[in-house]
Amino acid sequence: MAQVVGQQILRDPALFYWILFPITIVMILTGVLRHYATLLLQSAPKPLEYKAIREQKNYLHGINVRGNANQIPLSSFTTRKNYLVAAFQAGNFLKDPDAQGKPPANPMTDPNGMDQMMNMMKGNMMMIVPQTVIMGWINAFFSGFVIMKLPFPLTIRFKSMLQSGVMTKDMDVRWVSSLSWYFLCLFGLRSVFTFILGNDNAADQTMAQVQQMNPQQNTQQLFGPGQDPAKMYLAEAENLEVMVQHEFVLDGIEDRILATV
Amino acid sequence: MNAEERDLQIHPIVPENVIANSKTIVDLHSLSSSLLGIAAGILGLESYTGFLFYLLGTLFVSFLIITFPMGGKPDVYVRGGLKDVVLADVTGGVMGYVLTWTLFFGLVRV
Repeated sequence: MAQVVGQQILRDPALFYWILFPITIVMILTGVLRHYATLLLQSAPKPLEYKAIREQKNYLHGINVRGNANQIPLSSFTTRKNYLVAAFQAGNFLKDPDAQGKPPANPMTDPNGMDQMMNMMKGNMMMIVPQTVIMGWINAFFSGFVIMKLPFPLTIRFKSMLQSGVMTKDMDVRWVSSLSWYFLCLFGLRSVFTFILGNDNAADQTMAQVQQMNPQQNTQQLFGPGQDPAKMYLAEAENLEVMVQHEFVLDGIEDRILATV
Repeated sequence: MNAEERDLQIHPIVPENVIANSKTIVDLHSLSSSLLGIAAGILGLESYTGFLFYLLGTLFVSFLIITFPMGGKPDVYVRGGLKDVVLADVTGGVMGYVLTWTLFFGLVRV
């Protein structure tokens, strides 16, 4: 039978109070809970020993000198470059100069690497556990109810997904069950969380996935496990050395200022 | 050094400012898309009309953002200019819109 245009179904308004609102409220509260649980579970990064900090900061110094070379006059840049290149090549800033040439430590045994991995695991658990629990809850309590009508038509393909638990063959795909409202909440509640928890909240899983893609950004460790700092220092020294082009940003400043008046 | 690089050195782009600006824009868009969804649900818009309503609403909000806080000069505040204001976080905006649209459509109309 072809679909009847403008199918009408009479529903008990209690469906809204006992299914739609509970799911929505639970989803919002779960997001809030997840946000605060993530904040609590995040262990504060351990303070590094001073030699490790010296190693990182001097490496960053080299990068910054290279990146902002044009902000200082050529003579200043040359002085800095000569000093840094000599120190980098001699390995003055290394945490333990004796480790040069040895194979890098196994990241599994490195306590810092373990810390990082634990943090990632915690983040993953915070995502997976509530999702599984809520989906099971909805499936157990609310399956089989048709609760709402979508304002836009969908293809027949979505029928098995959106009307799971509803065994009616000819019903329009626009009538959906409680599980689809769960999915809508899952994807659409981010704007709500932005109002409640501010912009950098951990309530939403899509944001968390983006962060997991590039974990280097929010770790304070510059040298990841398995990287040899000595080699990185040598590479940086080479980068500084081959930088021949230098153009002071204040060259011709008189003309530029006079052009604006 | 070519002219473009020199220009970037004279007027450097500060990543923190770029991030803060785009966050502000995304906030405005997500708030307005949720409100647009409420409006569309109460009006009882269906299918294409609803998405068209969202499109027009977002364009209007982008116009307001460009006109009032930015003073008509989007290039000063975001790198991509006009494009970055209109297209900031489209997927998140559409999701929020569909959520509130469906909710209020269900509450009011059905």
